[in-house]
Amino acid sequence: MPRGRVDVRTDLEEVFRGHYARVVAVAARVLGSRDQAEDVAQEVFLSFGRSAVPAGDAGGWLTVAATHTALNLLRSGRRRSAREEAAGDGPAVVPDVADLVITREERSSVRAALARLPHKQAAALVLRHSGLSYAEVAAALEMSPGSVGTTVRRAESVLLKELNRHASPE
Amino acid sequence: MRHPSEGVLRRLVDEPAGVTDADRAHVAGCPTCLRAVDTARTEARLVGAALTTPAPVDTDAGWARLSTTPAAPARRARVDRSRWGAAVRRPAVAALSAVLLVTGAGVAAANDWLPIFQTERVDPVEVTSTELVQLPDLSAYGDLEVTREPGTEQVADAATAQARTGLAVPEVAELPEGVTGEPVHQAAGTVGATFTFSAEKAAQAAAAEGEVLPPAPAGLDGSTLRIEAGPGVAAVWTQPTGVPTLVVARVVAPTVYSSGVPFETVRDYLLSLPGLPDGLADQLRDLSTDAATLPLPVPADLVTSSTADVGGAEATVLTSRDGLLAAVVWVEDGVMTGVAGSVSADELLSVARELR
Repeated sequence: MPRGRVDVRTDLEEVFRGHYARVVAVAARVLGSRDQAEDVAQEVFLSFGRSAVPAGDAGGWLTVAATHTALNLLRSGRRRSAREEAAGDGPAVVPDVADLVITREERSSVRAALARLPHKQAAALVLRHSGLSYAEVAAALEMSPGSVGTTVRRAESVLLKELNRHASPE
Repeated sequence: MRHPSEGVLRRLVDEPAGVTDADRAHVAGCPTCLRAVDTARTEARLVGAALTTPAPVDTDAGWARLSTTPAAPARRARVDRSRWGAAVRRPAVAALSAVLLVTGAGVAAANDWLPIFQTERVDPVEVTSTELVQLPDLSAYGDLEVTREPGTEQVADAATAQARTGLAVPEVAELPEGVTGEPVHQAAGTVGATFTFSAEKAAQAAAAEGEVLPPAPAGLDGSTLRIEAGPGVAAVWTQPTGVPTLVVARVVAPTVYSSGVPFETVRDYLLSLPGLPDGLADQLRDLSTDAATLPLPVPADLVTSSTADVGGAEATVLTSRDGLLAAVVWVEDGVMTGVAGSVSADELLSVARELR
């Protein structure tokens, strides 16, 4: 049988246009690379196109799918190593939304730490920072809502230690 | 009052409304907790900033790329939806397929049917009557279609049964005490069914139970499993009153074929469904590592199980707690043989070991 375009749901384009930027941002939060985040977004929207997820639930579904897919990619080794990426991009310093200045090197080391976290802990952290509510994070990861805060806090402590290690000159 | 947990303080940073009034009141008047909330807020901001990656996106380019992606995995497109809509649903087959689905492992290929589960042995899985009621109804997670009916029928004799099925009816060397007369022979053809996952149906079923499903793994939606079992033959001895006293049966054990996502994915997803009791899920997960063990759901409150050797194969011996019924089941070369009746387990084992 000939293989042409994906035989997809008719609302795919509308959902894509409404959520693409957000899905790329979620994946970029995990991967720290726009190119790879776009690859993940493509994969996630392909899956969505074949699914019967109601369009109204698309935002949450896509965020969760992007998080899992990106975390898997982060650990898979297909990703360029943190060092290569830092070297390629140079030591530029980027001002951030929260008036914080975080170097590329720090970003890379934070992602290395993220890759070492247990999957559920990393996913909870990313989902929360991607704007999902505690109840949504709990549902997506099959956790009790009460344990989300503890899990997120624990993950943040680990990543923060990594940041501080780089910040303090030794 | 003791201090709220670190997790509660963390939630206070994001969702104060999600924290109880009592905890909020405590924190408002507790310098220690206020400091902890401040620290949590600062650290959350730092981590959030470190994770945020400025990624200006070109949505048009993204859409152009997606809409020209070749449809390698568009398996769903070939499914005739109207045919699936008319699928026959039979609880017994649904239960069978549920049991089979959760046991398999192995790989599934893109387009070809691959055998992913071939029964080589059976193993009892202890369930309580309550758990049986709680088992997720598989028909709620997709479309089941019975593709081949077994067409079970009574036949004149063992030779006819063999001619119909290609399976020799096991001959009993010596009937146990209390079993008399000539057996009635039954022959059954192959039973086949396909099961197609539907993320939409699963979500609806879960919503009806007030549960939220974990997101289905990529590719699961629309993927299909094909289940085949049989043919089979049986010899049944009955009392004059019509109550069976001894049944000897032989059937080609079930095989599952997959045309979709890797089977571990299916299994792990099924085992994570809400409603599956933890203990049962663990038993099934333990069994399912070799893709060859058929779990036999055994109501633990009614039946005890043990194992015994029958002609070199490990057989499962089941005995009802009231001692009135027993059964012995084993698998050899993909053929499952069972002996059951209202006789003792020892007598049944003798029958089993001397079958010809």
